[in-house]
Amino acid sequence: MVSGNGDARAAIRRWLQKNVTGGRDVANDEPLIENGVMTSLQTVELVTFLEDEFNIMVEDDEFDEENFGSVDAIATLVEGKAA
Amino acid sequence: MPRPEFTLNDLLHNSVERDPQKVAVVDGDAEYSYEDLERESRSLAAALVDAGVAKGDRVGVLVEKSWEAIVSMLAASRIGAAYVNVNPLFKAPQIEYLTQDCDIRVMIGDTAKLEELQPRTVETAFYKGEKPQGAAAKSYASVKEALWGDGLKEDRRVSEVDLGTILYTSGSTGMPKGVATSQRNVVVGAQIVSSYLENGPQDRLLSALPLNFDAGMSQFTTSLRAGATLYLLRSRLPGDLLKGLRRHEITGATGVPPLWSLLLRGAKSLRENPLTHLRYLANTGGRIPQANLDELRRLLEPAGTRIYLMYGLTEAFRSTYLAPEEIHRSSPEQGNCIGKAIPNTEIMVINKEGKEAAPGEPGELVHRGPTVAMGYWGNEEATQKAYRPNPLAPPELLDVERVVYSGDTVTWDEEGFLYFLGREDAMIKNQGYRLSPEEVENLLIASGLVNEACAFGVENPAVGQDVIAVISLRENADGNAVDSIREYALKNGPPYMIPKEILVRDELPKTGSGKIDRKGISSAYTDG
Repeated sequence: MVSGNGDARAAIRRWLQKNVTGGRDVANDEPLIENGVMTSLQTVELVTFLEDEFNIMVEDDEFDEENFGSVDAIATLVEGKAA
Repeated sequence: MPRPEFTLNDLLHNSVERDPQKVAVVDGDAEYSYEDLERESRSLAAALVDAGVAKGDRVGVLVEKSWEAIVSMLAASRIGAAYVNVNPLFKAPQIEYLTQDCDIRVMIGDTAKLEELQPRTVETAFYKGEKPQGAAAKSYASVKEALWGDGLKEDRRVSEVDLGTILYTSGSTGMPKGVATSQRNVVVGAQIVSSYLENGPQDRLLSALPLNFDAGMSQFTTSLRAGATLYLLRSRLPGDLLKGLRRHEITGATGVPPLWSLLLRGAKSLRENPLTHLRYLANTGGRIPQANLDELRRLLEPAGTRIYLMYGLTEAFRSTYLAPEEIHRSSPEQGNCIGKAIPNTEIMVINKEGKEAAPGEPGELVHRGPTVAMGYWGNEEATQKAYRPNPLAPPELLDVERVVYSGDTVTWDEEGFLYFLGREDAMIKNQGYRLSPEEVENLLIASGLVNEACAFGVENPAVGQDVIAVISLRENADGNAVDSIREYALKNGPPYMIPKEILVRDELPKTGSGKIDRKGISSAYTDG
């Protein structure tokens, strides 16, 4: 079952809490790459999670700081694909 | 007149004199010339002197890779202070450990990082960003203002034997150790690396590695020496890597194996639109999985990119490299070839009897040359173990020359090519980072839920080694203990220190002497 689009932000934040920040919630607009919250390896794991969870494909050239810089940005990318 | 190259400041002086307007550093959309580097490092140096930084003092650099980080290194060098670049992935406990270990009193840092630190961690903090909340420092000053202030009237007298920087790295035991590196080590390292990579002013180099890592710092110093342009890249996502390489027409890039697997996610784009400007790619920090190396060669070599495989020890900066024309020697049939010694350096293979090993015979890699560092800061025992008299020197030299015992087992062939065989100790290498099992174990135990812990590395070509931990729980631990421990570890440690798996046992097996049997636990895990 694919999560509804509205849940994208919540799902991404849950994943970050569990796999990256050790329980600390992340604000939707908090910089993730610029502030070194997420390593590149963790971002690759996040992409795998998003592809499974939302049944989408992330292209190589979309896999950048602009699209993965914050929860908002990632959610926008996911929603654009799942629509 | 170009100056003879003794200190980092000499390298800067010569590049400014060669072409003051030349772009030295590109940080995002901002470009900075060599003249900017001269002026702003002079201003920051004056501010450091005002803050009481004396010759030989350590200055912490806790800013993410940026223009300010680059200027900080040169500012400290100008006044004979040693810069200590802090791993940006470190959390407060690691930063505080390092600050105490080498007695850092002045720190240049990003506001958010400074705010995480306990009160009175340092005397003075120069902040990048808004003025920090909290009392991590007794007094605060703005980096921005310091960069624009009046410059130092006269540089302090600094010589090549002065301490230049301390590079923190982990070994096989204990907490991270600071490798005390002289101005000479840094300068000679830049001379050596820029000679075999043939760097010149025309180069546009991609800085993808962190500056606290020897190879990342060396990329900056080689660029400085060559009068080249350094492009700072913070994001290592495949899309950004590819865009960076293309937009800036990068001519040289240095990275660790995980970076290349990220780059290879863009294989299609590399095939359709080859990187014709990329003159070389240099790998360090572990072996590239053979399939990835083969694919990199297939995708990059036809467009003219040469691949260098480097092997380095933080204790001696860089040690060996396999030249592009010999790259076929690193293969499943021939083994993990690490090439030959870098210029001006000798690599010895010393067997258990302390004699030079014959071709084919395994021995320890021992490094001799001008990049051998000064030792581990404040750690006599570890220094004496790794930095020893040259075993092959004539006795008349009275054992004054020190060489580095790497702890790595290698062998060489009849032609003198070196092959990496492995390590006998417990050091873990994950994503290019070195870790000692104790660092992982201490982090888990600090959660307050763990009674005993045993960490070890398990081979995984994609990342080097996975970190695995076997623990026993304290009585206060509940059913969610493993989740809580993981949560604690993520909050208090860098990502590469977090175990991939945490397994719980009632009690951990011990050796005859009552110590936790790491070898036994690790082989039981590997054997399933």
